[in-house]
Amino acid sequence: MKIDPITLAVMNNRLAAIAEEMGVVLGQTAYSPNIKERHDFSCAIFDARGELVAQAAHIPVHLGSTPLSVRAAIERLDLNRGDIAALNDPFAGGTHLPDLTLVAPIFIGNEPRPFGYAANRAHHADIGGIAPGSMALATEIYQEGFRLPPVKIVVGGEIARDVMTLFLANTRVSEEREGDLRAQIAALTVGSARLLGLVKSSGRATVEAAMDALKEYASRLMSAALRELKSGTYRGEDFLDDDGFGTGPIPIRVAIKIRGGNAIVDFAGSASQVRGSVNANYAITLSATFYVMKCLASEAVPANEGLMRPIKLLAPAGSIVNALPPAAVAGGNVETSQRIVDVLFRALAKAAPDRIPAASSGSMSNLTVGGFDRFRTRHFSYYETIAGGAGAAKGRPGASGIHTHMTNTLNTPIEALEAYYPMRITAYHLRRGSGGRGRARGGDGVVRELECLVDSNVSVLTERRKIAPYGLAGGGAGAKGKNVLVRGRNRTTLPGKTNIDLKPGERIRIETPGGGGWGA
Amino acid sequence: MSIGRLPSSIRRRGHGRDATAVAVGVDTGGTFTDLVAIVRGELRVHKVLSTPEDPADAVIRGLSEMLADVSVGAVTYSSTVATNALLEKKGARVALITNAGFEDVIEIGRQNRDDLYALAPSRPEPLVKRAMRFGIAERTLFDGTIIQRLTNNELARIRKLAAASNAEAFAVCLLHSYANPKSEEAIARTLQPLGRPLSVSHRILAEYREYERFSTAVVNAYVAPRMSSHLQNLETRLKGARLRVMQSNGSAIGAELARAEPVRTILSGPAAGVIGAAALATAIGTDRFITFDMGGTSTDVSLFDRRARIRTLSHPEGYAVRTPVIDIHTVGAGGGSIARIDAGGSLRVGPESAGADPGPACYGRGDAVTVTDADLVAGRLVAENFLGGKMKLHPERAAHALAQLAREMKSAPLAAARGVIRVVNANMERAIRVITVERGYDPRDFALLAFGGAGPMHACELALDLGIRHIVMPQNPGLLCAWGAVGAPLGREYSLTVRETNPDYSRLLRRAAPLIRRVRNELKAEGAAKIEHELWVDMRYRGQSYELEVALTSRFIPEFHSLHQRTFGHAAPDAPVEVVNIRIRAIAGGPAIAPKKIARMKGRAKPISRAQVMVGDRERIVPIYARDSLGAGTRLRGPIVVVELSSTAYVAPEFDLRVDDFGNLQLEAMR
Repeated sequence: MKIDPITLAVMNNRLAAIAEEMGVVLGQTAYSPNIKERHDFSCAIFDARGELVAQAAHIPVHLGSTPLSVRAAIERLDLNRGDIAALNDPFAGGTHLPDLTLVAPIFIGNEPRPFGYAANRAHHADIGGIAPGSMALATEIYQEGFRLPPVKIVVGGEIARDVMTLFLANTRVSEEREGDLRAQIAALTVGSARLLGLVKSSGRATVEAAMDALKEYASRLMSAALRELKSGTYRGEDFLDDDGFGTGPIPIRVAIKIRGGNAIVDFAGSASQVRGSVNANYAITLSATFYVMKCLASEAVPANEGLMRPIKLLAPAGSIVNALPPAAVAGGNVETSQRIVDVLFRALAKAAPDRIPAASSGSMSNLTVGGFDRFRTRHFSYYETIAGGAGAAKGRPGASGIHTHMTNTLNTPIEALEAYYPMRITAYHLRRGSGGRGRARGGDGVVRELECLVDSNVSVLTERRKIAPYGLAGGGAGAKGKNVLVRGRNRTTLPGKTNIDLKPGERIRIETPGGGGWGA
Repeated sequence: MSIGRLPSSIRRRGHGRDATAVAVGVDTGGTFTDLVAIVRGELRVHKVLSTPEDPADAVIRGLSEMLADVSVGAVTYSSTVATNALLEKKGARVALITNAGFEDVIEIGRQNRDDLYALAPSRPEPLVKRAMRFGIAERTLFDGTIIQRLTNNELARIRKLAAASNAEAFAVCLLHSYANPKSEEAIARTLQPLGRPLSVSHRILAEYREYERFSTAVVNAYVAPRMSSHLQNLETRLKGARLRVMQSNGSAIGAELARAEPVRTILSGPAAGVIGAAALATAIGTDRFITFDMGGTSTDVSLFDRRARIRTLSHPEGYAVRTPVIDIHTVGAGGGSIARIDAGGSLRVGPESAGADPGPACYGRGDAVTVTDADLVAGRLVAENFLGGKMKLHPERAAHALAQLAREMKSAPLAAARGVIRVVNANMERAIRVITVERGYDPRDFALLAFGGAGPMHACELALDLGIRHIVMPQNPGLLCAWGAVGAPLGREYSLTVRETNPDYSRLLRRAAPLIRRVRNELKAEGAAKIEHELWVDMRYRGQSYELEVALTSRFIPEFHSLHQRTFGHAAPDAPVEVVNIRIRAIAGGPAIAPKKIARMKGRAKPISRAQVMVGDRERIVPIYARDSLGAGTRLRGPIVVVELSSTAYVAPEFDLRVDDFGNLQLEAMR
């Protein structure tokens, strides 16, 4: 069946609307602030082959990686009517352990095989492991938390109690986990119902053909964007500070070969995987590449599998951009993903110098605080990411205090945080002057200072504390970030990645990096 | 009568003779200022050219022309002054006084970006420059405890800074001021003698979440000086008639409050439109409907389910404002949206728009093919009757532009025209799904109220896609806003963050008591007699961070569980619940208004002509009727086209048309 340009536009709209509606349900029903207030989740629809056809992503890091989860679930499980698969294993389609992906097959009538799949992924605030928040400085995946290869969490419409009990027993705040999981399931139910509704109103053959046509459409748009760039091979290099265990700087290198509407993205020459948790598994590298390519296209390209068809990704196995088990990977998702973007843009800046911005803060500045709240007599685990400065581009200064590239999570309001957790924010403002100099200035980073009111364990997972975000076209680098322990009048600079116990009254102060400047 | 001179009636009102005083509704638009009055039960309408440099001129002139014979009692006004100050960035220089160390909360916002995939993300310029953000040493906690008190030295220092600054307005925003307003009040007292408008965050909004509260206070400070002087001027020229302003939530407030808290009026116009539509729909017995206002560059949709749906957070021009607004969803597509085939071979309609200049290809200046050109080629827009024949359209240019598009699509021009209509309708359908399906409503349970230049042309096919069977195309749609204003009740809506776990009903009533007193006193001062109030609570399960709104009755807890079940598909009746905010909504009824009846149809309706019109997939000869020739009681069967001054209606073959007593076109799906 041939899909005309009109049906293509109409079906693009309708399929995207289904993914978005799933997102609304998940955002509204979830329990944890991480999902509701910070929107750290995404929802998607897949075709019978497990290829992504529509996605509502609030977080770019989910964009390219969710398809790998869905395929892992399809390959490893026999998904029947009413079943839902759950997984978080980074080495079986996941990203890092806190990101829990659910996959539901969608059947039409009595057909034996699924017509498509609904899936969603949400960042859970705790998934076990050696530290609250499951973002600790680990050296093996086994320390990072509870690892869930694809398993059925719902069987024939009923929650698989044994799996659920096992899972909940391995997380710190189980009540919240269960509420969030229920919300994920509710969103899948809505997604399935809506896709079946679309099949009913538009016809099975049309929907099926439209799903294929939409992938081809995205592929054509991506090719058109690549064709606007001059053919050639463009190289970029940048470094991670360290892995938190003494290894560093850690180089990431890429060569992007562009020719005739296609690109080969090759990370050969990047460092081998490391002991600390900054290893990116393949899904992360794929997502970062997906993100950069989508930014490059001047037209809105629908988020589906076709987007990556003109692009071939080569990431050497066992390297920092394609780590193998049992590597620790929590930081790969939140930190290394940002550096992969920096490297890709640095290479592309040579192909499109007038469009590409200088490096942004390049770190999500992850902060996790946990312990026992003696005021509310309960355990707590709190996680946040802190924005930095955006890189400047030609004629466009960088924005200040804004999340860039692979994340877009909201901050937790101070007035909410202080009411529900035993901590106090003692400063929250821009780090004025931290943006790189240039004809267009880089954006400023942020200062966030947090005082513990009870004995607390604090994990810091940050980057760009040693190697600054680069400027472009002669523009200056953004200021490096800084983590400081404040004990009375005593200030000690902490490493970029550390785990530390704080007493009541002690503070942790995070100063996030500024963005690079553009132009001398 | 010259602009600015008042009719004797208004002057007389000043001497207390208001036996025949009438209520007037006024809507100031970009081009026209519309006025609606009820005089001895009769509806009067009037239209004058707007006077953008001083919108008051048009108001005064309109009043004097329309109401020379009676005295004006109250004027309710849907004003665009606050909106435009924000839109055109012509607000005041604002200084912000906030906790030291938190000066940039208003710039960082929620630290996110709107466009995930923009190469260089941007945000709107903060309304307070960095150098104008003054930190003060103070700290209050979430439970109201003050752990760092303001010292006299600090207050004196801030007062000096503020006095020396060239700020035209001040915003006072402290953390946790909703829990204890003492420190904000102390700063306000210190700054009061400087005589510049003050926006104090807890007075406008006593709710937690600092960025949204601070931003609301800052936007208020930014628009206050302009709005205040404008209203003062208008009030003086009204010589004693009461002046009221429409709030964004559809009720009106007195001029005094509107001058102090203009942020409440930021979506005044659209709110008046929905309330006007509601008055009309109620008059014809329809109380569940979706408004569909499709204009040149954008389309507004909203849902009315016996009452307007209210949202507590909006982002006008990208700035967070947490005041109640009617939940109106806007999409950037309309008659002027440009259609093209993109690099991937899909037909795209919008978001680029040809605007009014050069406008659609058929306007004779530009070449871009727009939705309006497709409507013209499809025969749904009748060239000879466009704007009553006052503006000449060029069908040949539309045909040429569509032929071009058709070649790119490898199809016939008519098929291309139909495609453009289908794609723009798909955008509209999605907008309506956002306000229905995503909010738990089924669009099939609602009527579609279609207006705006392009609304009635697209309504039938849109309704068919959504399964909607009843469409209303109102008589005189341009007057809906003014009509909404005249009928709007006086209203107040305040909230207070309380954060109580498993509270009992009587405790919540005690906490609500000050809110009730405040609302009643304020409304009485504005001349309200019969005041009705409702109490609501924002609730959630403890640990959640998204609240549901439940009426505060003795059964509020079971009601919360069942609402949670209905909305999200699950509930946890044993889990602890938390009441986050108490909210009061009070109204004092507006005048009952009924639309004007039109004459009954005598004899059979006669078409003014016949034309080729695209019906479904093919062209048919279809009769064209003039709307003003159709009396009440007319019944016709689609497909037909009905032309009038401001728009054209297309009635698809699936629908029957009936003209009701008030001249509205009512369409029912028959097949």
